[in-house]
Amino acid sequence: MGKTFSIVLAIIVVVGGIITSGTLFTVNETQQAMVMQFGKVSDVITKPGLQVKIPFVQDVIFVEKRIMAVNTRRSEVVTQDQKRLMVDSFARFKIIDPLLYYQSFGNLNVALVRMETLLSSQVKQILGREILTNIVSGERSQLMDTIKNQVNAETEGGGIQVVDVRIVRADLPQANSEKVFERMRTQREQEAREIRAEGAEIAQRIRAKSDRDKTVIVANAKKDSEILRGNGDGEKNRIFAEAFGRDADFFAFYRSMQAYREAMSDDDTTMVLSPNSDFFKYFGSQSRRTAN
Amino acid sequence: MPWSNQGGNGGGWQGGGDGGRGPWGQGPSGQQPPNLEDIIKKGQEKLKDSLPGGGGGKLGFFIIFMVAIVVWLASGFYKVETNQQGVVLRFGEKVAVTQPGLNYHLPFPIETVLVPNVTKVNSIEIGFRQTRSGSQTPFTAESLMLTGDENIINIGFTVLWRIKDASEFLFNVTEQELTIRAAAESAMREIVGRTQLTAAITEGRLKIESDVQEKLQSVVDVYGLGVEIAEVKLQDSEPPAQVIDAFRDVQAAVADKERAQNEALAYANDIVPRARGQAEMMRQEAEGYKQRVIAEAEGEAARFISIYDEYKKAPDVTRQRIYLETMQEVLTGKNKVIIDSDGAGQGVVPYLPLNQLNNKGAK
Repeated sequence: MGKTFSIVLAIIVVVGGIITSGTLFTVNETQQAMVMQFGKVSDVITKPGLQVKIPFVQDVIFVEKRIMAVNTRRSEVVTQDQKRLMVDSFARFKIIDPLLYYQSFGNLNVALVRMETLLSSQVKQILGREILTNIVSGERSQLMDTIKNQVNAETEGGGIQVVDVRIVRADLPQANSEKVFERMRTQREQEAREIRAEGAEIAQRIRAKSDRDKTVIVANAKKDSEILRGNGDGEKNRIFAEAFGRDADFFAFYRSMQAYREAMSDDDTTMVLSPNSDFFKYFGSQSRRTAN
Repeated sequence: MPWSNQGGNGGGWQGGGDGGRGPWGQGPSGQQPPNLEDIIKKGQEKLKDSLPGGGGGKLGFFIIFMVAIVVWLASGFYKVETNQQGVVLRFGEKVAVTQPGLNYHLPFPIETVLVPNVTKVNSIEIGFRQTRSGSQTPFTAESLMLTGDENIINIGFTVLWRIKDASEFLFNVTEQELTIRAAAESAMREIVGRTQLTAAITEGRLKIESDVQEKLQSVVDVYGLGVEIAEVKLQDSEPPAQVIDAFRDVQAAVADKERAQNEALAYANDIVPRARGQAEMMRQEAEGYKQRVIAEAEGEAARFISIYDEYKKAPDVTRQRIYLETMQEVLTGKNKVIIDSDGAGQGVVPYLPLNQLNNKGAK
């Protein structure tokens, strides 16, 4: 009897389990669900929680509710001013209408491929209308908005809403990068040269100024010293004039005597003298001769 | 970390990022069942021991069943650590957010709980990679970007973020960390694209950091990511390796300029004081000359005056004496030729052998 009871209990449990699992299903916070009946959508559930369906007859398809990413491959964009840019971008989107989404794409992989194609073509098209500086610096956020709106317009019918489009990288291709590097290098070289030349200029300026100062200082000193010497000489003349002016005749005599002494101090001097000179007045005779 | 485990016990959701798997990593409903089974088995054996005979079977089942129910209900207790927030899901639907402490949810499979770490500050490195030894290697595909003046700059930065709202973080966006990363890279490029190169490598760095932080925060807010961007920190902001030498040369040039200037100043400092010294010397010399000349003149004048004063007392005699003294002095020791000009000596002068006289004198 115990055995029969056990078997019956086991059957009830198994059958009940099968029916329950076919009837009840949970929709997570991150999901939305469509209840399908023979391939047709009979209900769309966006609210999470425990849900009921008819077992064996209805199926459930879960659809992502969160914001998802789609990234473009790095591709070349030719800008309006004929410059080339390597651009990659991403979009963030969510499924707002599971039914439309399911009808348009069927599954997420298809949707992602379509989104990527759409996004990269819009990026190319819209950036191609702009000049490089606008893309890099100017109106990047407006451009991203424009792309977002364009992509949105095309995906709305598929139940997808694009939340945001962002350009990640917008770089120059390798060859152009090299040119930019070259330009940066030459600019810096130019700058370095200018700075060094400025240094030389300042140095030269300082040196020239100090040389000038030196010259002026020395010249002024020269001037002062000449004035001083002149003063000295003048004073000397004044002193002499005052002293010697007392008796011009005696001075002439006295000074002559001094000059003879100085001038003829050399021992080698040979003198040719006339006995008639004053010095020899008494040389010839004792008596005084009459002077001529 | 992708959300693959839809109806599960939330075992994967312990940290905000991939790294932080705490001690409570398995979650409340994951760890207990083996223990419970043991307990049940033991209880069963005990019952069998204590109630011998077939008649006790039904009662035994009932007790086992009751114990199982109690244990099942008790499995709803869970602990939220101070750095965590609990998010309770009832059949997948968020029904409560619980704070740190001991909490209870209806047991699996009715309710499950997720306990993400909300205080942990996560970091994302962009433009460089930290190697295990702690050094940083640049990652040029991420780090090189265009500046507003069409130069290329090498930028490496770190984004620090943490979960602000656990349920937003868990339920609103897929690939949360990758999303932050991509948005950060995009924001940085947008901001740097508006900055001049020289500003970006010098005084503009703080502005870039704050601008990117603001931009990034607004982007993740649009996504409803439930994340707070705590900080954006520039690690590198410098010219790319290809041109850094040229930039360093500019620095060197600045130093050279200063050096040239200092050398010139040193020259000036050397030469001008010397010139002043020289000038002073010239002035002093001239002053000395002046003093000397005057003193000499005064001396000479005084000498003359004293002689003159004597002379005045007896002019003829003095004059005669001076004359004779001078002549004596002058003529002493000299070669002398005395020729009478009056008589016979008159014609001799032209024949005087001057050279001989000179030679003789030279001896």
